[in-house]
Amino acid sequence: MSDSEQDQLSTFVTLISNDGFQFQISRDAAVVSGTLKGMLNTSFQESSTNKIKLHELDAVLLEKVIEYLYYNLKYKESVDVPEFDIPTEMALELLVAADFLDV
Amino acid sequence: MSRRRRQQQQDTTDSNHEVRGPSSALTSFLREQGINAEAIRLRYEETLRQQAEQGTSILYEGDEETEEIRAIRQRASIKRSRANNDIDDDEAEINEDDGEGKNYCIECDKEFVVSVYSKKMENYGRIGYLCGDCTAIQIKKDRLSRANEIEARKRRKKVAAALLDREEYKLPSLQDCCIQIISKNIDDVELLGDIGVANSKKISRILSKNRSLDSKTMTLFLDPSLKEIEFWDCSNISSDALTQLAANCPLLESITLNLCGRLHNDNLLYYSDKLKNLQHLNLNGPFLINDSMWQGFFDSDVGRNLKGFHLRNTHRFMPDSLIALLDNCGNNLEYLTLSRLDGLTTKTAYDLLPHYLQKLKHLEISYPNKEELIDDDLIVSLLSINGETLETLILDGCSGLSDQFLIGGIRPFCPSLTKLSTVLLDQITDEGMTQLFTNWEINGGLMDINLSRCIEIGDDGAYAMLEHSGQTLVELSLNSVKLLTKKFFTRLSRNLRFPLLTALDIGFVRSCDDSVLAILSRIAPKLSILEIYGDNRCTHKAIVRSDLRVIGRQSDSI
Repeated sequence: MSDSEQDQLSTFVTLISNDGFQFQISRDAAVVSGTLKGMLNTSFQESSTNKIKLHELDAVLLEKVIEYLYYNLKYKESVDVPEFDIPTEMALELLVAADFLDV
Repeated sequence: MSRRRRQQQQDTTDSNHEVRGPSSALTSFLREQGINAEAIRLRYEETLRQQAEQGTSILYEGDEETEEIRAIRQRASIKRSRANNDIDDDEAEINEDDGEGKNYCIECDKEFVVSVYSKKMENYGRIGYLCGDCTAIQIKKDRLSRANEIEARKRRKKVAAALLDREEYKLPSLQDCCIQIISKNIDDVELLGDIGVANSKKISRILSKNRSLDSKTMTLFLDPSLKEIEFWDCSNISSDALTQLAANCPLLESITLNLCGRLHNDNLLYYSDKLKNLQHLNLNGPFLINDSMWQGFFDSDVGRNLKGFHLRNTHRFMPDSLIALLDNCGNNLEYLTLSRLDGLTTKTAYDLLPHYLQKLKHLEISYPNKEELIDDDLIVSLLSINGETLETLILDGCSGLSDQFLIGGIRPFCPSLTKLSTVLLDQITDEGMTQLFTNWEINGGLMDINLSRCIEIGDDGAYAMLEHSGQTLVELSLNSVKLLTKKFFTRLSRNLRFPLLTALDIGFVRSCDDSVLAILSRIAPKLSILEIYGDNRCTHKAIVRSDLRVIGRQSDSI
């Protein structure tokens, strides 16, 4: 594996939901989550393969979480931000996920 | 004109002492000096004439503008006539015309024809017009900067609002977003599920704050394995639901109920029967529980086991209730709070405290019904027995206390004390504080001190205190300790450092100014909240660390 390929890999990470969906997101977005940051910055398997399997989350939930990660990345510095939209029925599940992911 | 005529008339009639209207001080002054409107007009016309004669090169801005406008009009009329005449002829005419006053864009120096849409600008020390392209760009820029200004103002507003809540403005976390939605729709939630104790506590607190915690929503937080429970607003929780609380959570060891005015005798009776593990009871405002019920509760198995008892804001807690408390669990009590209990009106009841209590870690006696009820002797004898273990001592509003309890009670007996609060003790003097803290070797230093409104304390006492506890102090309030001078802060700056201090309140210490803020910012590197309400010498110009939040400056509220 050449150096350039390694660099290419490290800017993106893959998140896998428990029903098998894969999401490629930028590393910057992933490290918004304290849990993912911990996984990626240590010597665990996840940091070398840049793939993280999240057994607790299904695709729908994971998609919403990723939406928030990018939302956070985009609006971190600004003030007049649009409200982050969460479907009411998802709120409780999402809270459990957010608690786990530390976001 | 009419006014001048009237003035002249007045001048002539003045000598005749005829009736005239009221005149202001300025009018009569001007008249005395022989100045009137006519003279001013004449002088102005004279200068105009002189300028015209000299052919002066000074041009007023207004004049210049009219000339330019004239030029524009001229060109416009030419353009209009061009529609009627031969085109070639006209162009020659225009070129001739432009030969005299050619227009170059002030920004890009492109030659162009000035129109009414051209933007006038002052730049590089001269005034000129922008060409069409530059005008478009500039207008866009202006609009953007206006938008930025609005954005910045919004930001300042939000930051200021967050400041008042002692928070930093930041994007809400996903958990906060979820909790907000859940709290909003709490009536539709049937089960919270496994959201973590911290989140569940957070939701419960938010509901209390929104005043939407009621009998139904309360049940969401009940869990059979729960050992601690806290509801900060019980005003909408019915008596039945409070019974349910004990039925659903039989293992509870600690209960905190705030604003529990609906807590009934029967509820307490039920608790005393069911909650075998209960050790800590913290009630605020249980005014339905009467004297005999209190006695019955303390006399029960549960009552006898209590290690912590905190009671605030009820007038039904009588001397006999207190005696029952002391009789049954006085020897075990480690945490005791008696605050704003207006039923305790006899000194003899309070005087029993030292006879029972012997291993207190936390003692709060605050805002007694009358200030004579709590005196120095009582506190000294309490401290002589419990001083060894005592960590927290709160005596807010016991204004009958004087220096004696500091020197004779705290100093000799309290080696492990870490928190001391003496709000409103106006008899504590500078001398007393100095004597307490100077060379107080048995105590290693306090972590939390609240001397709000101890108005007799001055520079020396406060300095002695900080010299003793400076290294360990985390929170400090000197609110309204008005005798402190600027010298005190300079003295701190020269001699002391506060490595752990994180929160400081020096509101209404009027000697505090911008330089004091800078000093505090430097000598307390961990300080993150500094409250300075009422210190009107503090402005936004103060030079402080960026991570130090200064709250209460007039300039913060935009």
